[in-house]
Amino acid sequence: MTQKSISGTAATFFIMLLAFILLGFAQSASSQVTLEISPSAIQKIPIAVPDFKYMTPGQTQLAREMSDVLSNDLNISGVFRSLDRKGFLEDPQAMGFEASQIKFEDWRRQGAAFLALCSYQIQGNSLRLDGTLVDIAGRKMVGSPKSYAGELRAWRPMVHAFADDIMMMVTGERGVFDTKIAYVQSVGNAKEIFYCDFDGNNPVQLTRDNSIALSPAWSPDQSQIAFVSYREGQPRVYGVNVPTGSRYLISGFPGMNITPAWRPGRNELAVALSKDRGQDIYLVSPTGEIIKKFGVGFGSSISVSPSWSPDGQKFAYVSNEAGNPQIYIFDVNSGQKKRLTFSGNYNTSPSWSPKGDLIAYSSGEGGGFNICIIKPDGSGNRELTSGGRNEAPRWSPDGRMIAYSSNKQGGPAIRIMYSNGTGDWQLTRQGGAQELPDWSPRRNR
Amino acid sequence: MRNKRDIFPVLMIFALLAVMSACAKKNVPPPPGYGGAGQEYGQMPGSGGPGMDEAKWRELGINSEAEKREFLEKAKAFENQDVYFDYDSYTLTEPAKKVLDEKVSFLKRYPKVAVSVEGHCDERGTTEYNIALGERRANAAQQYLTSSGSSNLKLTTVSYGKERPVVTGHDEASWAKNRRDHFVLNY
Repeated sequence: MTQKSISGTAATFFIMLLAFILLGFAQSASSQVTLEISPSAIQKIPIAVPDFKYMTPGQTQLAREMSDVLSNDLNISGVFRSLDRKGFLEDPQAMGFEASQIKFEDWRRQGAAFLALCSYQIQGNSLRLDGTLVDIAGRKMVGSPKSYAGELRAWRPMVHAFADDIMMMVTGERGVFDTKIAYVQSVGNAKEIFYCDFDGNNPVQLTRDNSIALSPAWSPDQSQIAFVSYREGQPRVYGVNVPTGSRYLISGFPGMNITPAWRPGRNELAVALSKDRGQDIYLVSPTGEIIKKFGVGFGSSISVSPSWSPDGQKFAYVSNEAGNPQIYIFDVNSGQKKRLTFSGNYNTSPSWSPKGDLIAYSSGEGGGFNICIIKPDGSGNRELTSGGRNEAPRWSPDGRMIAYSSNKQGGPAIRIMYSNGTGDWQLTRQGGAQELPDWSPRRNR
Repeated sequence: MRNKRDIFPVLMIFALLAVMSACAKKNVPPPPGYGGAGQEYGQMPGSGGPGMDEAKWRELGINSEAEKREFLEKAKAFENQDVYFDYDSYTLTEPAKKVLDEKVSFLKRYPKVAVSVEGHCDERGTTEYNIALGERRANAAQQYLTSSGSSNLKLTTVSYGKERPVVTGHDEASWAKNRRDHFVLNY
């Protein structure tokens, strides 16, 4: 069950890919370097991120701060490894940005495969940011220079946008640097819904009900969060418009209304209800009309926690119809259900990866809980964590990372790891207890 | 009982009981200002609380002070006795059924009392699965009470999963106390 090292073949493959970059293999093809880089690659791509160059004299303060944010984004991506600035030979404020001015040989000797060159201008409350990605081995600029403009106070999203573009240029897929993570925070005896940036910055409190709020779930367009609250006695599913804060009831049937999951591509949610006494998974509209009862329930069994496949045609869920909680997959079109997990006797909280290739879940054994991944066909079961209580996994929208609740370093907090179990850092650092993360989709650009 | 106290809220009865226990003399009117203490009693969970008037007592089939006293004692015992479950189980054990049988006799005697069955779980296991499990526990008790009790029971259920533990320890003794159905009366 536990198999932490990646296969030798895969490792060799990725090292070879990296070698191709270093040898300038990609140089001849096009101005774009597009490679499928997996976070499971042992070697991450070394990138140099010097302080940003200020083009308006005296506006020096953000030079380091923005570089730190970009550096951190690229480190978090799992694809890059940002080099220590102390080794840089050149004064970032004196660097030239033309290809002819770039000291490729110096950067190569410092171990950089890529160089992120950024400059900024501040005028009043406006900021303009320019970024260029340089392929050191290929001795050329990658793609065209990128420009971002906006309010000065919104400088972080602009830096995140360049990080996204770097990911796009190198891997062919945007990063997750404009995403947010919702979670449940204990506030006194109450539990409230919060969300923060993907890097843990800017925590925002969304509910102030002084009740129990649970199970936040982002809508596919990132504008709404569905969640469960006891504010009216029974657990009901509510929605909140994230930008405006306006609230509405989604599902308030008699009995429990829990575990909302927005269906990809449709304005519908799967929820677990017990309105007909038996528990079952239902499809409801955002205003609570029942569209369909899926009929996964079995006698007095428990049916809960649906998680959609990316095509919205199947969902994984938890049922105890075999005597203890296990993950099942329900096919909406055929109406067939299939048991997915057979190892262990307490498998819950399924989360279908956005690429569709894996399902993460939490597995309880001997008092501990660990995050596991398994393929939808039931093969490839792997444990990603060890020690403590690690629960409620949720994928990043690029499928490279998993957010989860963990008490492995003291109080319950949200942690993030790469989908191969490496990495692993604490997202929420405000103290108290956090649980039940949900990672937002990317914003449309 | 057709006297001036008809218009008093039930908190006066609590006050009266308290005074009666202090001095054996019957029918001592409550001293001025005693209503404050009564209001505190009224906020205790499940007690009749403010707004409980004679008409409501009669609705419950309670007509004398002695009957009220008996009811309040039994109601307290009813609420204080939880029903316990095994780990990840909502099967009623034999001891659980014994407790529920006592509750059945109370509910048969007072069929108009509304009962909320709260299902709870221990801290192990998943938040969301535990809400579903707690509901099954509450339903198990509700079904048992309904099938052996009066047909006009006002029985509702709510599951708190592992969100409202009665004991905060992290050992089996604590967990066992948290895997429970708790009963709250509304009258």
